Amino acid sequence: MRIIIAGAGNVGTHLAKLLSGENQDIILLDEDEEKLNKLDSNFDLLTVVASPVSISDLKDAGADKADLFVAVTPDESRNLISCQLAHYLGAKKTVARIDNYEYLQPKNKDLFVQNGVDSLIYPELLAAKDIVAGMKLSWIRQWWEFAGGALIMMGIKLRDNAEILNVPLSSLGTDLPYHIVAILREGETVIPGGDDTIQAGDLVYFMSMKRHIPYIRKIAGKQELPDVRDVIIMGGSRIAVRTSQMAPEYMNLKIIESDLNHCNRLTELVDDKVMIINGDGRDLSLLASEGISHTEAFVALTDSSETNILACLAAKRFGVTKTIAEVENIDYINMAEKLDIGTVINKKKIAASHIYQMMLDADVSNVKCLTFANADVAEFIVKAGSKITRSQIKDIKLPRGVTIGGLIRDKEPILVSGSTKIIENDHVVVFCLEGMIKSIEKYFK
Amino acid sequence: MIHHKTINRIIGILLLIEAGILLVCSFLPFYFHEDDLFAFFASSLITACFGEFLLIIGGKRSKENVLSRRDGYIVVTVSWIVFSLFGALPYFISGQIPTFTDAFFETMSGFSTTGASLIRNIEAMPHGLLFWRSLTQWIGGLGIVFFTVAVLPIFGAGEVNLFAAEATGPTHGKLHPRISISGRWILFVYAFLTIMCVFSLRVCGMRLFDSINHALTTISTGGYSTRNNSIAYYQSPQIEYVITLFMFLSGINFGLLYFLLFKGKIKKMLLDTEFKWYLYTTLIIVVIVGAGLFFEKNERIEESFRHSIFQVISAITSTGFTNTNYSIWPPSILMILGFCMYLGGCAGSTTGGMKIIRIAILFKTLRNEFHRIIHPNAILPIRINGKVIPQSTKQTVLAFTIFYFGLILISWLIFMAMGCNFFDSYGATVSFIGNTGITIGRLGTEIAFGDLPTLCKWFCSFLMLVGRLEIFSVLILLTPSFWKHR
Repeated sequence: MRIIIAGAGNVGTHLAKLLSGENQDIILLDEDEEKLNKLDSNFDLLTVVASPVSISDLKDAGADKADLFVAVTPDESRNLISCQLAHYLGAKKTVARIDNYEYLQPKNKDLFVQNGVDSLIYPELLAAKDIVAGMKLSWIRQWWEFAGGALIMMGIKLRDNAEILNVPLSSLGTDLPYHIVAILREGETVIPGGDDTIQAGDLVYFMSMKRHIPYIRKIAGKQELPDVRDVIIMGGSRIAVRTSQMAPEYMNLKIIESDLNHCNRLTELVDDKVMIINGDGRDLSLLASEGISHTEAFVALTDSSETNILACLAAKRFGVTKTIAEVENIDYINMAEKLDIGTVINKKKIAASHIYQMMLDADVSNVKCLTFANADVAEFIVKAGSKITRSQIKDIKLPRGVTIGGLIRDKEPILVSGSTKIIENDHVVVFCLEGMIKSIEKYFK
Repeated sequence: MIHHKTINRIIGILLLIEAGILLVCSFLPFYFHEDDLFAFFASSLITACFGEFLLIIGGKRSKENVLSRRDGYIVVTVSWIVFSLFGALPYFISGQIPTFTDAFFETMSGFSTTGASLIRNIEAMPHGLLFWRSLTQWIGGLGIVFFTVAVLPIFGAGEVNLFAAEATGPTHGKLHPRISISGRWILFVYAFLTIMCVFSLRVCGMRLFDSINHALTTISTGGYSTRNNSIAYYQSPQIEYVITLFMFLSGINFGLLYFLLFKGKIKKMLLDTEFKWYLYTTLIIVVIVGAGLFFEKNERIEESFRHSIFQVISAITSTGFTNTNYSIWPPSILMILGFCMYLGGCAGSTTGGMKIIRIAILFKTLRNEFHRIIHPNAILPIRINGKVIPQSTKQTVLAFTIFYFGLILISWLIFMAMGCNFFDSYGATVSFIGNTGITIGRLGTEIAFGDLPTLCKWFCSFLMLVGRLEIFSVLILLTPSFWKHR
């Protein structure tokens, strides 16, 4: 597949790295040569110094033969124009990064398709969705829904009070309403077998169904945690604005922003349920006077990853139960996890995995990148006669680091055990280590 | 810069228009065979001569005839005074109102849509004068200059400055990029409502002549009636409900009414912050007053409700019709009625008072002050229709409020100095500044306006003008810096 990525910013670079490990032909475009130089020598991809809105440059880069054209420069209108040009030149599919909620509305979809922009991606919105989901179920660190919510996967940090610690998984019982698909322990992802045990401090990924959430909350020892009602957001970024717009009515939000002019602009973007406070979010006395001690969630969304991490740690000392930090520096993500920050948001990873999902064949409808676990989750629809349908799961030699979390058969969610037999047209949710999706695709075809 | 020639020319044109309207009114005495025919002819002729004189002084229209911001304010204020001066002529010449002071008071009360009348026996007036009296309110409802500009777009480039000086409310939304076309649409809504009102009143059994007159004064929220007892004369619940409905409609922003009536956008209206405040404030006060009347006076529940909703809406929209003798109501309920006179309807309607939008902004400003004590670092915006209003608008509203109350205090004092008692003075001040027409207190009921001293009548006329042009447009002419050539 020939993929052109226009814009070697955070998202573009991350996406290029991700895809270059998958035997795709990646061409990365940018006007700034310096940004490209670092990538060119370290990764298996082609970099071109070119303007994404120049017709001749796009032609030279081979946009006419591209299977996918992704425009992820910081400027929304440049992205749209770039996609239109690429489409005009002959690119098969185009994706543009945008920064406008209006464009995403379903009624406007045709307008963009007619103009040669097949898909739109809005990283800030995706990040805001994750934040809001994290605040709604504050004891769950990560949350995925498959097949429209029939199956769910939750990442939960287990503490000393959990009920399933130090017992081999095989002796927990056979007819459990959940399936443990992965354990993250001290930065290492483990796909557990029957002999493994769960220890305090592990981040455990449960596959289950919505009706079993209270049971899982009980066995995870999370029952005493309060629901999130009061939220303090530090930094008035675009994600903060989106979050405040998507937060449910019962939540009271406060956004702390240090730039007065930006504060005034924010008041025009949010509505009355959000209070804008001018001040530094690192100022502990300010936080105390704004009532952080009875706030249930603290979200740090400034431009600086370090500030966000430290502010979340400070908030934890005030007794905030749910902390969410935006960490754009990928190397810090593991560290943030070790420091016990509730949820880590990474715009690049969210955006890249979203685009990545578009690239995979249409059989995969939901790939999500797990920020902590170096792992991907994918949903496949099983085709007739594919490898996986030939015998029971325990008899199929799936590669190491791959596990099947659950499946949906005739709209009924089913949790998977070794003796389950998969038949055609099942929606199967697969959990695998990073970059392995392509290699397991063949089992389902 | 002040362009005297342009101002003369515009006022000349306005007077010619007034002369034309007076001439049209002379058709009524002709039809009814009454003796005020001469009065209308004479007034029309005098007005036309004076208008022509101003036109000649003003010279030809040329490129230098621009209209600055200052000119806008002068034109608007002066034209209201001049219109009232010449509009008083028919009453004076026909001898129906013997002194010119009284005739001017009656005309200013008409144009400013106040509706306070010093004619003792209205029913004895000839039809022509009664119609002219109602028509002054209809012309004044939207604003004299507005009315003319909407009919005849004669002024060209400076029109925006005229609108700024005359329009009501702190913010002005435009319906159309060209202001004279917006004006025409508004006028269309105005005329449509009036015709609907005439029709509804006819259906309820009112005579055609009375229907037309009452429609003209209802939609302009003026409140002149052709009957001595106002609406109470008819003793007809249907008529009272119809008038209540049209008074309420006239208190809504005409821009919103335009969208409702001709574009069918009911949601736009229901979601409008000011409309919601208007609706809920009215409902709450109607319920309180209704309950008060029901328990205090042992009326039937329908009667209490009808009296309450009619008088409350009459006071809020600054119309000033009466359907019952409210002056015998308990004092506390009277004070609530007095409070209504402060409110006024929505900005961009024909009502007087402070306008609901200012009350809403004021209320939110005060609420924010309390928030600020608890959250000293918070940025607390004021949102109207989901949009943050700029700091400058907030300041203007605060300044307006201070002026409004300051003016009431001073005028209260002046009324007392002229011999009215404490409570009557308060009632009269609030009523004249709010352009309501009915007062709490004895003025207008036990003490006729005609019995006030001459100086007091001129002062009342001044207050009506200041109230109608929302204070700043008139008072700015009294500031020295306005006249400096800088």
